[in-house]
Amino acid sequence: MKLELGKIEITDIQFSNESRIKGSTLYVNKKEIENLILEDEHIKEVKIDIAKPGESTRITPVKDVVEPRVKVSGDGGIFPGVISKDETVGTGRTHVLKGAAVVTTGKIVGFQEGIIDMSGSGAKYTPFSQTYNLVLSCDKADDIKAHTYERAVRMAGLKTATYLGELARNIEPENIETYETLPLMKSKEEFKGLPSVAYVQMLQSQGLLHDTYVYGVDAKQIIPTLIYPTEIMDGAIISGNCVSACDKNTTYHHQNNCVVHDLYKRHGKDINFIGVIITNENVYLADKERASNWTAKLADFLGVDGVVVSQEGFGNPDTDLIMNCKKIEEKGIDTVIITDEYAGRDGASQSLADADEKANAVITGGNANELITLPPMDKIIGHIDYVNKIAGGFEGNMTEDGSITVELQAIIGATNELGFNKLTAREY
Amino acid sequence: MKVKIITNNPLVYSLYSEDYDIDYQEISYEGILKKTRDYVHKGHELLTHPLSGSVKPNETPFKTLLISSKSKDLNLESLSIIENSIETAEKFLQRQKKYSDDIEKDFMEIDLSLIENVINKLL
Amino acid sequence: MSKYKIVHYINQFYAGIGGEDMANYEPEKREGFVGPGQAFQGNLKDEAEITATIICGDSYYNENMEEAKNKILSMVKEENPDLFIAGPAFNAGRYGMACGDIASSVEKELGIKSITGMYIENPGVDSYKKNIYIIETKNSAAGMRKAVKSMSKFGLKLLNNEEILSPSEEGYIKRGLRKNIFVEKRGSERAVDMLIKKLKKEEFTTEFPMPKFDRVPPSPAIKDMSKAKIAIVTSGGIVPINNPDHIEASSASKYGKYDISRFKDLTCEDHETAHGGYDPSYANEDADRVIPIDVLRDMEKSNRIGKLHNYFYTTTGNGTAVANAKAFAAEIAQELISDGVDAVILTST
Repeated sequence: MKLELGKIEITDIQFSNESRIKGSTLYVNKKEIENLILEDEHIKEVKIDIAKPGESTRITPVKDVVEPRVKVSGDGGIFPGVISKDETVGTGRTHVLKGAAVVTTGKIVGFQEGIIDMSGSGAKYTPFSQTYNLVLSCDKADDIKAHTYERAVRMAGLKTATYLGELARNIEPENIETYETLPLMKSKEEFKGLPSVAYVQMLQSQGLLHDTYVYGVDAKQIIPTLIYPTEIMDGAIISGNCVSACDKNTTYHHQNNCVVHDLYKRHGKDINFIGVIITNENVYLADKERASNWTAKLADFLGVDGVVVSQEGFGNPDTDLIMNCKKIEEKGIDTVIITDEYAGRDGASQSLADADEKANAVITGGNANELITLPPMDKIIGHIDYVNKIAGGFEGNMTEDGSITVELQAIIGATNELGFNKLTAREY
Repeated sequence: MKVKIITNNPLVYSLYSEDYDIDYQEISYEGILKKTRDYVHKGHELLTHPLSGSVKPNETPFKTLLISSKSKDLNLESLSIIENSIETAEKFLQRQKKYSDDIEKDFMEIDLSLIENVINKLL
Repeated sequence: MSKYKIVHYINQFYAGIGGEDMANYEPEKREGFVGPGQAFQGNLKDEAEITATIICGDSYYNENMEEAKNKILSMVKEENPDLFIAGPAFNAGRYGMACGDIASSVEKELGIKSITGMYIENPGVDSYKKNIYIIETKNSAAGMRKAVKSMSKFGLKLLNNEEILSPSEEGYIKRGLRKNIFVEKRGSERAVDMLIKKLKKEEFTTEFPMPKFDRVPPSPAIKDMSKAKIAIVTSGGIVPINNPDHIEASSASKYGKYDISRFKDLTCEDHETAHGGYDPSYANEDADRVIPIDVLRDMEKSNRIGKLHNYFYTTTGNGTAVANAKAFAAEIAQELISDGVDAVILTST
């Protein structure tokens, strides 16, 4: 598959009478977005806001972040099986509004999660302090269940990102990058002298607020399988995962999967990046055994020399991670795994819920229990009193001046396990 | 396969007590883990991972686990998993948080959701 | 400009009071520097001075921890120093435990910055590294000059509130504390770099070393217990009455081998415990509670086991360096093998 990704730089976002892109400014007709979202009768009311980098603004509780994209050529459309029809994506050309993001918030369950601070000490821990954000705060219709509300908010974010992406259809991108993955045998022939590498992506798949969808299919229901890296760039994988803020992958993270990008950078030079194996993280232990057996089998079947494995979430996924690592290493394939840590506030506790000496090559996204004090922000989009209930916050953690002390795990994307950030942890 | 449900979640109890073998007790999260450990020592096999979900042990008071109904010889894998889980949970449990009734209901729902797709699979 | 005030803690040996025979020396405070304090003073001359030195015997500290700690804490409080230095203890186990304990307590209870210095295998390291900075030293006083230099340098950094860098840069032993830090490359790029190195069989450094599991594969099971020769080995510190070989109460530097061929049942008249890490009363009353000679004799009689070996081996487990424990075990194992022992019952507390 070959995909051209055309970037249209966005350096400002403003409300206007007409939704369009002029220069590098994204103009948004608020009313149209409202109407679009309120098509779903499960949403009673939506407030739409803008948050820009450097502003004294806090967004919370964040559900998902989505990047506006549009397929201008090639089969299918963005978010296949969910927004667009169920066609195979990943080829042709896709435009990206680089620098823009749609952020959804909503009180799906009371203890909601996730802070994005657009400035101050917390800003450097989230990538979304650098993006021009259109924030949707969705209130649910009365008497609907949590599942229904979650789905409604999820769709609202995807629909809005699709709407905005559409504005870029006929704009000529400033730069176009091409990504190509050949079918397996051709790839091995073409890059004969290079070690072949696959990416094993573990997807969160446990239940309400803990789900991921592949072409709209609930990842709890899949068995490990293959996918082209470029399909992921077209939104084939989307997030229904809201917990925990620091180590869940937002849809934006999926669309911009950094492991995919960094493997492509070395493709054809040091390695032959042959493709992606996706697997899940089910609660049922027998599923974990089956999935890891299958993942190792696929890696072996593909004849790869090495894999990068990324995970998602806290606790039991550490078991899947170690199972995958062990079983793949036992096939004689080199692994590098990416995780984050819960080493306690002092950093003295055991970081992972599972371990094995075969996992000798580990990348960490940092200790999620580390404390951080966030200064008060002038503007809050969302619901601030939920901060106490946010993961990592604690009773009385907000001082009179409005600054709050929370664990890093409260910040969206802070310890992301795709390796999205430059944060790491070292032993002192 | 016959399963036994161990839970402190009234919502899980109300939905499954009629059709399933269920050990329901209004004890703490930690209590559920330790009760499960006792069952493992008696030879029951752990069927679900105790650290289900990314909601932390000091946030949600609810935990539901599935074990085998029958007991056989001690399953070392099960023992290792439950012990590691207790160790991981203990890191958080020193800083237990308290929540309102509304929010407790939400935690019950999440805990239910994490287990119901497994129970449905085993029907 | 006034100098920083330092209080220095040393043991009876470095104070020139005596060796093992004076290890029960009770805490004493003296003005100025004593022993190695002079070397510290030399290194710190312009910026700090040792206003007092506290001396305490290693046995006294380890066997009377609460009292010793309280006495010493009040002495330190009187002096009100800016920095507290303990040791360096090199590889002396009980000295290391005392240094680690008193330095952590001074910092925790009095809020005074503290440091100490030890050799990496000193049991004080594992016990206290999370609580206090321990500068790495050689394994004997031959490394005194270098240790004093590193400790002085580090102490000054603490006093001047300078940023403390990584263990390798500053010379302190890794504390096992994970701290976040931003680096140049994002995680996925670091992952790909690491994989390429691993594939090329080049050296790489993992960002998270997995915890070490010291796994020992078990020997095959005994087929016929009624023919087996069983021996007892313990780290519970059981010794003949009056501890004739002076096995230490903690950080044992030796093990004992004792004849039990004439004993059917141990009593308070013939055996006791040397172990300082648990309440000794029940073990002193009846050492069978730690090494079940009485039950094993019964089993011998009923032919449940073949024979109880004539000797048992003993040491104290608390604060004993892993390296020492391994060395003892290797020697003991050799003897057991030559004596035709089939299986060992290991007891601890």
